[in-house]
Amino acid sequence: MNVALAIRLAVVATVAESGYVHAKLYVDGYRSIPHIGPLFLLQAAVSFALAALLLFGAPPILQLAAAGTALGALGGFLLSRTVGVWGFTERGFQPHPDALLSVLSEIATLVLIATLWTYLRRRRPPSRAA
Amino acid sequence: MTRRQLMRHAGWFGGAVVLSVAGGEVISHIADHHDQVAAAAASDPNALRFVQVSDSHIGFDGPANTDVTGSFEHALDRINSLGFRPDFVMHTGDLTHLSTPAQFDQVKQMLSTARTERVFVVPGEHDAVGDGGRAYLRTFGANTSGDGWYSFDTHGVHFLALVNTLSLEKAGHLGPEQIDFVRKDLAAVKPDTPVVVFSHIPLFAMYPQWGWSTDDALQVIAMLRRFSSVTCLNGHVHQLFTKTEGNITFHSATTTAYPLPAPGHAPAPTPQVLPARQLEDALGIRTVAYREGDQALALKEERLT
Repeated sequence: MNVALAIRLAVVATVAESGYVHAKLYVDGYRSIPHIGPLFLLQAAVSFALAALLLFGAPPILQLAAAGTALGALGGFLLSRTVGVWGFTERGFQPHPDALLSVLSEIATLVLIATLWTYLRRRRPPSRAA
Repeated sequence: MTRRQLMRHAGWFGGAVVLSVAGGEVISHIADHHDQVAAAAASDPNALRFVQVSDSHIGFDGPANTDVTGSFEHALDRINSLGFRPDFVMHTGDLTHLSTPAQFDQVKQMLSTARTERVFVVPGEHDAVGDGGRAYLRTFGANTSGDGWYSFDTHGVHFLALVNTLSLEKAGHLGPEQIDFVRKDLAAVKPDTPVVVFSHIPLFAMYPQWGWSTDDALQVIAMLRRFSSVTCLNGHVHQLFTKTEGNITFHSATTTAYPLPAPGHAPAPTPQVLPARQLEDALGIRTVAYREGDQALALKEERLT
């Protein structure tokens, strides 16, 4: 298995994990929270879609979308622990262990995408200009 | 960007949109199924169905709610119009605001109007103002142990009603005698029996800075770890909050009197004055259903609007 494929499959796993955590929390009760419920559903649905597509390839648009989804989820997490999101606040890594799993999978997604991007850039053949 | 590249990007984007919509539909369908299971449990006459009310604060008089008696009557009306007769109603404390005999008489009389088989209560710290809970125990302490704790079984579920508000040391304390009672009580309960624990103050550390925790609850939590399903229902915090720790799920209930601020959102947990017409949105009752064989209890929050 080549390195790029291994990193891509790891991204599939972390994106799917983030989606799974958000879907689980949505089903378990977050759907009743105004604004937050639909956002959890959106995050989960987009994450599952990206994970499925990343199985077949990792064009820049998918890498950007996966990174953006992870950043959005992390941003929501930080806001909900500080100023709140539409009045919704939580503390620390609650609910446990979902919050921690979600944050770890989103950080891993960002690190893996940066690694994949760097790896592919280095392997790109030099341009014939000049 | 070449036309071919544009087509490729559009293909990936379109695929993402289609799959996202499909994924959203599937997740929504699973959530709907979850709701249907809860609704089925609530409508099953053989299921256990009970109601939790909390923090009625009969006797409170302030701008946050100038008619707590009317609000509690409204809550009782809601119980009596649920469409089923609950097996019992549990009031998780702060029945009164100042523990006067008149307030206890009033809340007891009001609770007797609930159309249910039985009414259970646990005390809040407002039910022990000035007398360490003696008036509470005179009114509601029959058939209980120690400072008013007890347990009972129905529909295959084991219930524990704990008292963490009458300690002379501090609020949010169970004490060694009660913990010993829990140890002996749970010794005879099989691990696959669902366990429900009632208390006024949360058994989890919701916000210790405001006294929203029980300092020696971990000893009880440790005893509850061996059960497959444990549900802890509390009052005190006047707002809905849910937390899961392994096999144990904690649910804080809202109030029928007045809202309190979210943890840390105010200098102190003082009654919140809401704009007109928003008060009833913050008040409510909780119905709980359980069918033997189900993995967990189904909770439904009912607002007083």
